[in-house]
Amino acid sequence: MRKYFQIFKISFEEEFAYRLNFILWRFRNVLQILLTYFLWSTVYANPATQAFGYDRTKILTYVFGVMIVRAIVLSARAMDVGNDVATGDLSNYLIKPINYFKYWFTRDIASKILNLSFAVFEFTLLFFILRPPFYFQTNITVFLAFLLCIILAVLLYFLILFLLSSVPFWAPELGWGSHFLVSVVIVESLSGALFPINILPRIFQSIILATPFPYLIYFPIQVYLGNVSGWALLGVILVAVSWVVVLWMVLNIVWQKGLKVYQAFGR
Amino acid sequence: MIKKFKKYIKIWWRMSVNSFSVVLSQKLALSVFLIGKIFRFIIFFLFLFFLLKGTGELAGYSVNQIIFFFLTFNLIDVITQFLFREVYSFRPMIINGDFDLVLVKPISALFRVLMGGADIIDLITIPPLIILTIIYGSSLEPTLAGILMYLLLLVNGFLIATAFQIAILAFAIVTLEVDHAVMIYRDMTALGRLPVDIYKEPLRGFLTYFIPVGIMMSLPAKAIMGLTTPFGILAAFIVGIAFMFLALKFWKYALTKYTSASS
Repeated sequence: MRKYFQIFKISFEEEFAYRLNFILWRFRNVLQILLTYFLWSTVYANPATQAFGYDRTKILTYVFGVMIVRAIVLSARAMDVGNDVATGDLSNYLIKPINYFKYWFTRDIASKILNLSFAVFEFTLLFFILRPPFYFQTNITVFLAFLLCIILAVLLYFLILFLLSSVPFWAPELGWGSHFLVSVVIVESLSGALFPINILPRIFQSIILATPFPYLIYFPIQVYLGNVSGWALLGVILVAVSWVVVLWMVLNIVWQKGLKVYQAFGR
Repeated sequence: MIKKFKKYIKIWWRMSVNSFSVVLSQKLALSVFLIGKIFRFIIFFLFLFFLLKGTGELAGYSVNQIIFFFLTFNLIDVITQFLFREVYSFRPMIINGDFDLVLVKPISALFRVLMGGADIIDLITIPPLIILTIIYGSSLEPTLAGILMYLLLLVNGFLIATAFQIAILAFAIVTLEVDHAVMIYRDMTALGRLPVDIYKEPLRGFLTYFIPVGIMMSLPAKAIMGLTTPFGILAAFIVGIAFMFLALKFWKYALTKYTSASS
């Protein structure tokens, strides 16, 4: 446990080593949220507007919720794993007395804590500048369910990233390409980070909800807003747990097979 | 002058063929990136379509008008990416001193680092984008003057986009930072996916005058809808020329700061 704590400490300090990079990265997050915020603010300009099952308060809470949930769920260092595989740097870790998954999960946690602290600051700043109506969840059970959904989302994203990072075992040139396709394009589009999934027609919703992506952002915020409750909430949690279990099993198989074909190119 | 222009066209063609060859040698990677770009476009397109189907309008614009704003943004963005992809490779050139090799060649260094690597993936997406823009543009029943003004303002938008790319290159020489500068520029311009009218002050003013996303992306579309004034159009061209002038000045200044480190 102590060695992982040291990894956490080093990772945390490493993030500060590239301060300008980090600050610019956070600035980009603010810019991205502005488009979404003003878009929805214009759609719901009239406080009495009710559309897609949201009112002005709930939709703007959704937008601000994305800012926080994104920082926790989508901030991750594990996307560098593919590079380790493609360049042969993975060998350095395989001979060390550490668990490679735990090593990256620890680094992810360090990144999430740092990003979350900045996101809270940005949230507060934008909140005071834009002064949106905000829905505060006061039901402690719902809030705990929201936290559980966040934990599941963190695990889910970690597994998705590791699965993507396994692609270079077989196609080293696809390291960044597969990340671009899944973590930049698909996750951004289908996780609910860009828009709530339920504004789409039923057929599109059904297709998207059959994938693990909405469990990253859309469902945690829906739970926070109280839009999913009772048996439906239990269903959401069970499906998210199932995705975690399934992806964990798939990752174990893929990773073992990958290690068998791994040739440490470039070493 | 014409001889010089022909020479640069020939060089650009050769550099682009080389760049295309590199990408085409990795067909799988090309397919993945292409699918990603098309998927992202379709998702945002569907999002706007269904959003406006539910609400009827956005900031006073109809479905077709909003989609036309989005298409115009994409047109400028994709063509800029297609022509200036090399900007993304500039940092390593500066860090390891390879920029020396560009400076000693008998062609414009700016031309080489700006246009040295056209992107075939973006090129593939341009024709369908143009077709979609024409389809949605004609649904707005524009006048001939509106179309001409749209095209002129589109060129002005490219001019401002080019000025920004030059400024990013200059910034890279001075600070050794380019990756985030490019991405911040892209995030800023992405605010032009929708008409700047949806933003509130002071952001709207910032996007109109400081980072003139409104002039680059929104104004051409407004011209085709007949929503511009002669003064607005004149101001847009002045801003375009001024931005290019300042970017070139910045580039010249940055060159004096190049230290040729590591070479």
